Parts: sequence; C-alpha cells; structure tokens
Amino acid sequence: METRSVGPLTFTIDFSIPLYEQIVEQIRHAIARGEIALGTKLPSVREMAQKLKVNPSTVVRAYLELEHDGLCEKRRGQGTFITTSEETVYQIKRKLANEALEAFVQTMRSLGIDQKTAQQWLKEMDWECKKR
Amino acid sequence: MQKAVELRHVTRRYGKKIALHDVSMAIPKGKAIGLLGENGAGKSTLLKLIAGIMKPTSGEIKVFDETPNWRIRERIAYLGDLSQWYKFQRIDEAIQYAANIFPHFQIEKAKEYLDFMKLDPQRKVEELSKGQTMRLQLILCLARQVDLFLLDEPLSGIDLISREKIIDLLIELLSEREVTLIISTHEIHEAEGLFEHVILLQNGKVVKEGDAEQLRVEVGSIQKVYREVFQ
Repeated sequence: METRSVGPLTFTIDFSIPLYEQIVEQIRHAIARGEIALGTKLPSVREMAQKLKVNPSTVVRAYLELEHDGLCEKRRGQGTFITTSEETVYQIKRKLANEALEAFVQTMRSLGIDQKTAQQWLKEMDWECKKR
Repeated sequence: MQKAVELRHVTRRYGKKIALHDVSMAIPKGKAIGLLGENGAGKSTLLKLIAGIMKPTSGEIKVFDETPNWRIRERIAYLGDLSQWYKFQRIDEAIQYAANIFPHFQIEKAKEYLDFMKLDPQRKVEELSKGQTMRLQLILCLARQVDLFLLDEPLSGIDLISREKIIDLLIELLSEREVTLIISTHEIHEAEGLFEHVILLQNGKVVKEGDAEQLRVEVGSIQKVYREVFQ
C-alpha cells in the first residue's frame, strides 16, 4: 500500500479492494473530519488519475457516487466541488459513526458482553487513546 | 456490453504447435484491458490476430463487428516487437517519418507526448536506452487518432522510470478520450490501477476473465488473481 497526495487530499490505495470504493471512502472521511473545506474544488479527473495511477474512469465513477450522496456537486465546465451544505456533512458524519457503532456493538455481543457493561467500559475508555 | 472484439472458436497453429486453442470471448469496448499470462501463453498471437497481421487457422474474429480488413486496420494501432526502422534518425525525424506512413497520425500530439515523456527531439534513436526506445515507440503508437490500441508487452525488460512514464502516458491518453486499450503484460503490479477488465491466458486458452473491480471483490488484487491461476 502506498500513500499518495492529491491537492488537499491524501489517499492510501490497496489494490486488493475495489479502487473506486476506496476513493469514495477516503474523500467521504476527509470531508467528515473537516480536512477539506466545504465548497472546495476537487482535483480534476485527470490529475486524480495521474497521481493515484488509476484509470480515469475509476475516478469518474467515484465522483459520481459522491454526487449521488450529495457530498459533491458537478458544475458544468468547472469541475466537481465539495458540497457547501453543513447539514449534508453532518448527516454523512452521523452515518459513518453509526456504521462504526454497529460494528462495535456486534463485536461486544460476540464477546458476550451486555449493553450495560459495554457502556461502562466505553465510559472508562481513554478517549484520546494516549495509553496505546 | 458493447464489444470491440469478438472471437468465436479461434484456433491458431504454427505448424504442429497450437498457440491459441478454440478461444471464444468478447472484449469490451472503451475500456483498458489487461491481457495477462506467462511467456508463450498466446498473448502475442491473440494481439496479432486482432490487429489483422495474422489470420486464425480456424474460427472467426470480429473487430468492431467486422472481419479485420484494411478499413478496420486503419482504426487500430499495434505496438509489437521493437522496430528498428528509425535507428539512424533523430527522434523528431522518426516522428515525421511516422506521420508519413501511419494513417491518422497527429504530429502535434506526438510532440506533446514527447515533452510529457521527457524525450529530447534532437537525440538520435540509436543512442536511446531500451526504456527510452520503448517510450518513443509508445508515443508513435498512441499519437494516432484510432479507436483500438494493442500494446504487446510495453512494460517488459525496461527500467523503472520508463515503466512509470509509460503508465502515466496511458493514463493521459485515457483522460483525453474514450478508446479501447489492450495491453499484454506480466508486470502486473504497476499496471494494476489501469485495468478495467482482465483476461488471463494459459497454454492458448482463456482461463479467467472479468471486470477488474469485480475480481477485487471476489478474489483480491489482480496480482493475487494471477498468482491463484498460475501457481
């Protein structure tokens, strides 16, 4: 796996999973974390393809998916831009957090831990992960 | 799926040796296709049949719905064994020469690619390294305004920088317009991101083929797909 920077974005591409999904996921996370400002223009398809060493159609597919989510919008003749809607970003953040929480709950259940205990342990958890 | 190429029961023999054995398949149009396999698997033969340089011993082959003919051949650019034609020329002369002999050759595009590939037009072709020669050959091939590009082992036996530059130029071409690109190679890792569809050949037969992203879901990287088939 290699880390590659494209404009304000950083990607780590793993060839063993679909490439377009990784581009979508990583842009989604960058927006949710606020690493890329709302209303920013995304790199052109050509630039993105060149930097990531992927087929331009993979980038097109990723941008379409982000548009479909409402996270990006295509402006005719200008390129693709990150949404300016904070509400959309909040919803995506919420969705990503929910996915993480569902995975957490499933893991806890598979370990035979009940909700109360899990909540207690979560409270005791070092939120900054300093001890690691 | 729109088809660029269709093969029906195609067999090609060289004397007693069978290079391709009863191959039937469709190759999608407008995509970058990886033609993968070990040496002697039949990759070059398949590309030559599609290019119309060679005819099948039996079976039928269609390129853009037609049996390869002169009209179809004008829509195809084929890069095969390293040509020695340009040896005594400078790079700019080689480009002029290519413009004279190849249909639909875009000389301005070739000059643009030369710059992109960091080749000095004043240099003599015979002084170029193997990698630089391949870069030049690729430019002469990709500067043609055609619909189908057939590249036989453009990444083999050359230096890392040249391989990277070749991948970059292919991405550049794909960014410019929709073409069908078939690349035979066994240098899979560097070209992984380029392929949208892959075909694996072994002993003259297609042993696996499919959409690259779908194979990533089912198996993993194309390199892994390759290993599983050939191990």
